[in-house]
Amino acid sequence: MLRITGGKVHDPANGIDGVVKDICIADGRIVAEGDGGDRGSGTGTMGGRTIDARGMVVFPGGVDVHTHVAGAALNFARGITPENYRKAIRFTHAPDRRAGLGGITPTTFATGYLYAAMGWTTVNEAAVPILSARHTHEEMHDIPILDKASLVLMANNEIVLDLLEAGEVERARQVVAWLVWAAKAYGVKAVNPGGLVAWKSGKNASTLSAPVEGYRRVTPALIIAALAAIVDDLRLPHPLHLHCNNLGVPGNVATTIETMKTLEGRRAHLAHLQFHAYGGDDWPTLRSEAAALAAHFNTQKNLTADAGAIVFGEAMTITADGPWEHVLSKLTGRKWSNVDVENETGCGIVPYTYKERSLVNAVQWAAGLELLLLIDDPWRIFLTTDHPNGGTFWRYPELIRLLRDADYRRERVKKLPARARERMVLADLDRQYTLSEIAVITSAGPARALGLSRKGHLGPGADADLALYDENPAGGVMFQSPRYVIKGGEVVVEDGEIRAVTEGREFISRPAFDEGVADYLRPLFEKVYTIAFDNYPVEIERLAQPDIHACP
Amino acid sequence: MGGKVTCTLGEVKNRADFIVYWGGNPAECHPRHFSKYTLTQKGRFVPEGRKGRTMVLVDIRETPSVRAADLFLQIRPGKDFEVLTTLRALVKNQSVDAARVAETGLTIDQLRDLAGRMKRARFGVLFFGMGVSMTRGKHMNSAAILRLTAELNAFTKFVCMPMRGHGNVTGSDMVLRWTTGYPFGISMARGYPRFNPGEFSTVDLLVRGDNDAALILGADPGATMPQPGIEHLSRIPTIVLDPKVTHTSRLARVHITTAATGISAPGTVYRMDEVPLPLRPALKSPYPTDADVIQRIRQAVAAKPAWTSAPCSA
Repeated sequence: MLRITGGKVHDPANGIDGVVKDICIADGRIVAEGDGGDRGSGTGTMGGRTIDARGMVVFPGGVDVHTHVAGAALNFARGITPENYRKAIRFTHAPDRRAGLGGITPTTFATGYLYAAMGWTTVNEAAVPILSARHTHEEMHDIPILDKASLVLMANNEIVLDLLEAGEVERARQVVAWLVWAAKAYGVKAVNPGGLVAWKSGKNASTLSAPVEGYRRVTPALIIAALAAIVDDLRLPHPLHLHCNNLGVPGNVATTIETMKTLEGRRAHLAHLQFHAYGGDDWPTLRSEAAALAAHFNTQKNLTADAGAIVFGEAMTITADGPWEHVLSKLTGRKWSNVDVENETGCGIVPYTYKERSLVNAVQWAAGLELLLLIDDPWRIFLTTDHPNGGTFWRYPELIRLLRDADYRRERVKKLPARARERMVLADLDRQYTLSEIAVITSAGPARALGLSRKGHLGPGADADLALYDENPAGGVMFQSPRYVIKGGEVVVEDGEIRAVTEGREFISRPAFDEGVADYLRPLFEKVYTIAFDNYPVEIERLAQPDIHACP
Repeated sequence: MGGKVTCTLGEVKNRADFIVYWGGNPAECHPRHFSKYTLTQKGRFVPEGRKGRTMVLVDIRETPSVRAADLFLQIRPGKDFEVLTTLRALVKNQSVDAARVAETGLTIDQLRDLAGRMKRARFGVLFFGMGVSMTRGKHMNSAAILRLTAELNAFTKFVCMPMRGHGNVTGSDMVLRWTTGYPFGISMARGYPRFNPGEFSTVDLLVRGDNDAALILGADPGATMPQPGIEHLSRIPTIVLDPKVTHTSRLARVHITTAATGISAPGTVYRMDEVPLPLRPALKSPYPTDADVIQRIRQAVAAKPAWTSAPCSA
């Protein structure tokens, strides 16, 4: 039993906005006052440890709806940038703690420590090829403390696209369901629909209504509509997680708005919206169209999004959007990696530095913040940097400060190039996020969008994942370092130090499908893949702590 | 510089119409490579199979792999870097000195032809072996291959892949990357990972005699290391985990017989293209698995009192 007393609780999912109240925890869950007496080892709300949280705010543990913390692509990036680790924060091994390195692409153990030390307790790995899902799960197992979910890449899967070409929608749904379970994933991700298929012939898919290279009927628009419908029909807890076409390209706001229209009211989550919010015809004329995009988004209640905001400094661009990475490597001259994955997807990797004095980067920086400020419902826009693409997750506190302080924001805008300042509206925005709104965009909102009913709130029955921050921290910047972080009822961080290293769970979905679909897939698979069909699905026994969501 | 443009082997099977093997002898060293992935398979976009593909072999001598090649280019030993750099120039239509090119053992016309074929390929792939990555020039040769491949993508789709072997070397590389950030050559002596090939890589440690004990798993350095390194292993307490007697186990102080992974112990093996495959044991073994032994050693070490007065923290 653990009691947190005297703190101002921000639990927006339960309508609690800065009220001083006690939080009681038993057996890893939040319990009502006086409850829990007979649970577990008989430790009731009477007795056990009490944390004096006077002068602190109490938040539900952070939930990252879109991040890249494990998997073949990230591990590839680690391997080609040893220079980044030289200046990274070091975690020395101890009897209860594995060693690791932080930096732009932290090692798995360091990832757990760094997220937890910031107050985040759940993360969603947003891009998993089925062919290497086994590897992704091995890495996620080595991320301590955090609970994890993962999304499997589907919008360039040639078996699925062939079925859509043939108009076999029902069978496509069966195949998608089988693939989600094969990968032991939580949901479905679509990256640059059709673009990766085209990229394997050196092309891209930049027009939503044009047939994808190698197909006659299948267009990006058709893929988007079909997958959104399939995810809904399968009753997956998280809607289609969509990385729109034309990421990073000047003028791409038109594609983004057209994508929203293509969805026709279906649920979807638009990933890293900042990278899809540009006007202009080329790089010299690039401007932020966040205002227009936000205005349209505000009317589309079926959608959620995450910001994909950038922070100035070092980053690592890693995306299944292979053609974009090739463009980026040509723009920057930085080292370029590309891994095409047979029949499914691919990925590109280019290290990147966002510079305050760069016109393009200044516009990107503003666009991310503008979206967060101009999208009026905080329950539909969440804080991310598309880690490590727009900057690392451990820099979220800097973005929170910018959202909460309009004067500070204007000071920062003044430092940007004059030409860039004409192409943004950020300095005109007066909105300042309240503490509860911060709790929404960092925890309650993403938990709801992910369909994780025990995350993102502090009502009875919720997982006891909490972060306690000083209301007036000594250093002056709130959220930089929580006083306490509690995960599953255990105090894992105290005064910025890791106190306990626990093991997290993995959320996976089990959509319904006809077992016979495997018989349909086997001969197709053996024709185009190079591994045995029986080696394709990840065995459930491989997951140490699976938490299976059966789709009704 | 740096970065790698590559793919999984199924992409080669389904798409590659132009295949180069450089500095390797796959017919003998990777005997299933031609038939499973690169040459004889019918691919989705190469329905003709072998007839739809062209294979070029570049090496310093004739090997049994020549029989499988459409074109064999024999270069002088140690001239890989020069040939690769010339190709990079020719691909970009830059001028090269024909007399200097001749020193490589090939003519400028041969290289111009190769550069042209590479650029005209629909999907090209370059596999490179230890004959180029571990000979004169070493990592500079590999870097030249990586650059050539990246630059060819201005004209067509082109990828490259090292011909890795030696059991699960890719798996070791993968696990070390996610746990430490680095692929090999790692020192944990300060309690956190540091990387410096040449200083911390196994061969350098052994030859210098820097380490005062060795735990060897899944390798037989007694057969492959330079003599001073082997002598050092026999001087210090060397512990070997291996299902069978090896050169290393013979000179080791302790040899723990373990179950053979993949035959009588489960696990994961990574292919050269970093695709993980599950291993399902077909037989039972009276011996413990490598993982069991390492866990038990770890538990025994953890039970001992710390040898430092105060363990440091980050």
